[in-house]
Amino acid sequence: MRRLHCFLLVLAGLVLTTGTALAGTTLTWWQFWTDPAIKPTIDSMVTRFEQQNPDIDVKLTDLTWANGHEKIVVAFASGTAPDILELGSDWIAQFAANGQLADLSDDISDSADYQGWSMATYEGGVYARPWILGTRVIFMNTDLLAKAGYERTWLPTSLKDLYDAAARIDSLGEDIHGWGSNTAEKHRLYKKFLPFFWSAGARIFDDNGDYCVISSTRSVAALTIYKVFNDLFGYVANQRGIEDAFLEGKIGIIMSGDWLLKRIELEKNPIHFSTTLFPGENGPGKSFLGGEFLAINADSDKKEAALKFIEFVTSPGNQVAFCKANRSANPSSRLAQQDAYFQSNPHLQTFIKQIAYAEHPPVDPDWVYIEDIIERAVEDALFGQRLPGQAMLEAQHEITELMRSE
Amino acid sequence: MKSSRWTASLFASPWLLTFLLFWAFPLLYSFWMGFTDYQLLSRHDPRWVGLDNYRALFSDREFLASLKNTLIFVAGTIPVTTILSLGLALLVNRKFRGRALFRSGYFLPWVTSMVVVALIFTNLYQRGGYVAFLAELVGLEPPVNGFLYDSGTALYAIMAMDVWMALGYYMLIFLAGLKAIPDELYEAAEIAGASPLRQFFSITLPMLRPVAVFILVINSIKSFQVFIEIFVMTMGKFDTSTVVYFIYETGLRTQFKFGYASAAAYLLFMIIAMLSVLQFVLLRRRRSVW
Repeated sequence: MRRLHCFLLVLAGLVLTTGTALAGTTLTWWQFWTDPAIKPTIDSMVTRFEQQNPDIDVKLTDLTWANGHEKIVVAFASGTAPDILELGSDWIAQFAANGQLADLSDDISDSADYQGWSMATYEGGVYARPWILGTRVIFMNTDLLAKAGYERTWLPTSLKDLYDAAARIDSLGEDIHGWGSNTAEKHRLYKKFLPFFWSAGARIFDDNGDYCVISSTRSVAALTIYKVFNDLFGYVANQRGIEDAFLEGKIGIIMSGDWLLKRIELEKNPIHFSTTLFPGENGPGKSFLGGEFLAINADSDKKEAALKFIEFVTSPGNQVAFCKANRSANPSSRLAQQDAYFQSNPHLQTFIKQIAYAEHPPVDPDWVYIEDIIERAVEDALFGQRLPGQAMLEAQHEITELMRSE
Repeated sequence: MKSSRWTASLFASPWLLTFLLFWAFPLLYSFWMGFTDYQLLSRHDPRWVGLDNYRALFSDREFLASLKNTLIFVAGTIPVTTILSLGLALLVNRKFRGRALFRSGYFLPWVTSMVVVALIFTNLYQRGGYVAFLAELVGLEPPVNGFLYDSGTALYAIMAMDVWMALGYYMLIFLAGLKAIPDELYEAAEIAGASPLRQFFSITLPMLRPVAVFILVINSIKSFQVFIEIFVMTMGKFDTSTVVYFIYETGLRTQFKFGYASAAAYLLFMIIAMLSVLQFVLLRRRRSVW
């Protein structure tokens, strides 16, 4: 009899657990935020979502920036991609063009509350939801500015102003440099060059996107100016090296993202600095715009639950919590931007203002190749392999050839 | 008899299965891929393109530059490594106090992770770094942005690091070769009045020839496959991309062109195979002379 009771108990347990599993939905989510400063916020967000939606479980997988993209590509190719993916803005077109992302065009009723949709829009369809945006602004060492004869509150309003300040700081001493100049660093160099390029009014493609026009006079002028900054005042290193030198007080002016604010905050003896918009010929110039997006796998059969989850993660409240934990400056939600956390910090305000004057690269599945061509042209011009005009003309030929081969 | 054959097969099966699954199949599959336009992110299934990938490689500026850099790397490191490691082996073959310490010291870089060594040298080579300091001491002007950020020095800086790292290993192989030379040969040479230099060229060097050829073969294969140093130190920038780095970039990092990358891999395989065969043929000829 006792044995029978035990058997029935086990059987009941099995039936109950199986029943629960069948009734519930398990979403899989691949994301990149693994830093100890932000991971608890991500975990807590998932827990809160599960509490609010007891029928949905979220299984989280952490990716790294070193190989996350490769893992996603392989997962799509092998049919093992998760339901929800965090994607960098420049990956969306590549996956959307292959039909690997769900079209969310009909599921976005709150689009006006968010910025960054154009980066997720490919051939009329919207394939991801903007989460956290990213741009680059000008950081200036105010001690070096003062030594160079400027007021500490001085801000450049034109590229000429920036040039003069970099020149005066550079002349302060052999170990002091006016400008932080990125070396040939894949996926980074073009992000520093494009603000000069866009601010000069240059374009990669014509208005219809039919022809590559990257060797225009404005484009060559932009590359020449960029090279002048590099050659005359440049401390040439990779992004990390430039930031290290800036934090040591060796560079007067650099272009960087919001992560630098966190680094400065963590310094034992932080430098005195100011932030400002990237200047154009006259007034604000155009900076680089990118960001993190949440997309749904086109093959997922849990689209409704997945949509619910990405709306939850990108909600204004969760964006504020995320930005506070990660010291991020650019939530995609306009409502989140109104939070006191952003309003009370002048540096975060610079980043938020810069978004209005920022541009993103073309949403093109072949951007990875185009980016490579542009970077090579910039590298060659910077390091004396080719003249700026020649580098841009050859880049135009290569991009045109690439467009023809498609 | 039958049962012992089964037992032998059973014991061999783990290796055999691993070999078939993780070596033979990928090798054959990638050979087939080299004749297709297989792209991991493509909208269509792989299509047979014949020799198109191989033809395209010979007009691909990046591949040709990578091949040129690889050849420079091979031609630059192998003679230097071989000569220096032979010199070191001769030195530590002598009896002196602390010989074991020197032997271990020279071998130490080889057992250190390449990534760790590459990171240390990245720091040594940077602007204002130790190597720049040494260069200035001897009156040379180091590159303004550091040795790794200059097309004229980056590849050579990596080659120098590679030589330093490999010296101890090849020294050890030469040392084993030196130990195998019978002392009687040197004794006879001394009685005949041969100078140490004559002994070196007439006894040591000919007797070490098989070891030298072995070193040449394995060092060539290793040098043709140089990757980690490039990945860690320059990411293929400043004229440092090599064929394996090109394969990685094309096939695995950004473009996912598996077909094209496979063709490049097989081209490299053919170059290495031809060179190895040539070296073995030369060795056989020498043996017949001995």
